[in-house]
Amino acid sequence: MPLLLGMSLLVFGLMRLVPGDPAVAVLGYKATPEGVRALREAFHLDEPVLQQYLRWLGGAARGDFGVDFRQNEPIGRMILDRLPVTLELTLLATLCAALIGIPLGLLGGARRGGMADRAALAVGLIGISIPDFWLGIMLILGLSLGAGLLPSAGFVPLSESPLENLQHLVLPALTLAVSRAAVLGRLTRAAVLDVVQRGFVQFARAKGLGEGAVLFRHVLPNAAIPIVTVLGLQTGYMLGGAIVVEMIFTLPGVGRLTLDAVLERNYPVVQSAVLVIGAMFMLVNLTTDILYGLIDPRVRRR
Amino acid sequence: MTRGRVALTGLLIVAALAMAAIVAPALPIGSPTEISKDLALRGPTAAEPFGMDDLGRSVLSRVIHAYRVSLGVAITAALLAVVIGGPLGLIAGYAEGIPEQLIMRPLDVLMAFPAILLAIALMSVFGTGALLVSVSLAVVYTPIVARVVRAAVLATKVEVYVDGARALGATVPRLVLAHILPNAATPILVQASVLMAIGILVEAALSFLGVGVRPPTPSLGLMLADGRGFMLQAPWMVVFPGVAIMLAVLGFNMLADGLRDWLDPQQASGR
Repeated sequence: MPLLLGMSLLVFGLMRLVPGDPAVAVLGYKATPEGVRALREAFHLDEPVLQQYLRWLGGAARGDFGVDFRQNEPIGRMILDRLPVTLELTLLATLCAALIGIPLGLLGGARRGGMADRAALAVGLIGISIPDFWLGIMLILGLSLGAGLLPSAGFVPLSESPLENLQHLVLPALTLAVSRAAVLGRLTRAAVLDVVQRGFVQFARAKGLGEGAVLFRHVLPNAAIPIVTVLGLQTGYMLGGAIVVEMIFTLPGVGRLTLDAVLERNYPVVQSAVLVIGAMFMLVNLTTDILYGLIDPRVRRR
Repeated sequence: MTRGRVALTGLLIVAALAMAAIVAPALPIGSPTEISKDLALRGPTAAEPFGMDDLGRSVLSRVIHAYRVSLGVAITAALLAVVIGGPLGLIAGYAEGIPEQLIMRPLDVLMAFPAILLAIALMSVFGTGALLVSVSLAVVYTPIVARVVRAAVLATKVEVYVDGARALGATVPRLVLAHILPNAATPILVQASVLMAIGILVEAALSFLGVGVRPPTPSLGLMLADGRGFMLQAPWMVVFPGVAIMLAVLGFNMLADGLRDWLDPQQASGR
């Protein structure tokens, strides 16, 4: 909670640092002294800064972020409308990252130094070095425009057509997932290598268990904690990465809303959207911490 | 590939790119900004292996010149973050208690946002340009460096040799600078390489989104943004800048990986 308060203060303070008068920036060349004054009054910009902050914070706590500078739409509604897209994209990407990254890491970790390990290492290193927005462009070029397999832009809500919804989200999710999967794969490998050296694994092998059983019954559960931590962290980062990916694939998500607002200098929207994404990021991290306790009883006892 | 060789390969890649960027104006690659309409969208040839862009500018020349911005921003940002975040982490780790709270809690707030989101928010307030990108990135990085340094200091200051030095009457500055700081050097060095890798990615992403480097300056992100509109007629406009980004990021990542294992054998023993 103090963290959330600090975040709101930072975002609010940052937006006050915008050089010049936001009212003038919005009205642009059409700015007249009367128009500016009316706008300042309508958005309470004439009030003391502290009062502005408290008004915004009080509203935000109730989900009311005020109205935006351009269309006079309620910002809370705008964000809420776009939130499902971003959440679905992030969840799907997390799933992809886990499905690619964890097996990759296991493959490498189980046979250290072998061909599979070296290949997995190389793939991981390249994976973390690929810029995701470029990967997105390449996927569009190859799979959408080149082969015509999947749509390159737009969005269909889940409630309208689950299949089309998935078709529109596969490429964005994959784009977002690749670098995350690479990070996850590298970490899974390190975690597996760490556990494999322990005594109980040698004992399990000594009593004649097959490699598969050793890996899944003894190694994986013990390597799960760092894996879950990183998966949680990566999910949080994807909320940020979603901004870029939503832009490339023209998905109507919160990230796109934020970016458009930045480019239009629609500061009330930027301020609130950044806070909402930040809060979600925090929530993901909190969930990760709680998951720890579920996986590892040692953490719970403390 | 042994670990030392990974670090060396990374270093070679980074050094080669940096070298090319530094001497770019002297290379026989033509101007990055000269427009010639007749050459617009011409594909790769022997003379211009990366082809020409929509305004007939040499993609190869633009890529090499863009590295000046790319590497410049990445290195400046990482250095700034080390210069600001390092001492903060050092004080927080050594002093603990109230100073630590005063330093780390505000930094936690900065870390509570996804990096790219914070960078976009900062850029939206302060405007565009290479220097501002560096500063924004440094703001994003500072808490990361501070945390790394603080953790290293916390781990080191309980060592017996630090107690020994203290018992011998070493002053606090001497204790910190001569006995504790050298142990934080490895994590700082590794972290700085990682941050440079991320810096190249984030600068490209910001410029791509239109909140980074300003258009006449060649930037890899801007080139991708331009090339997107000509993806089908001129795929080389998006392929080469992207590969260029990847190569630089790969170099820094290999450097970080190699350094980590090479300088920190304890961590490497499991690999």
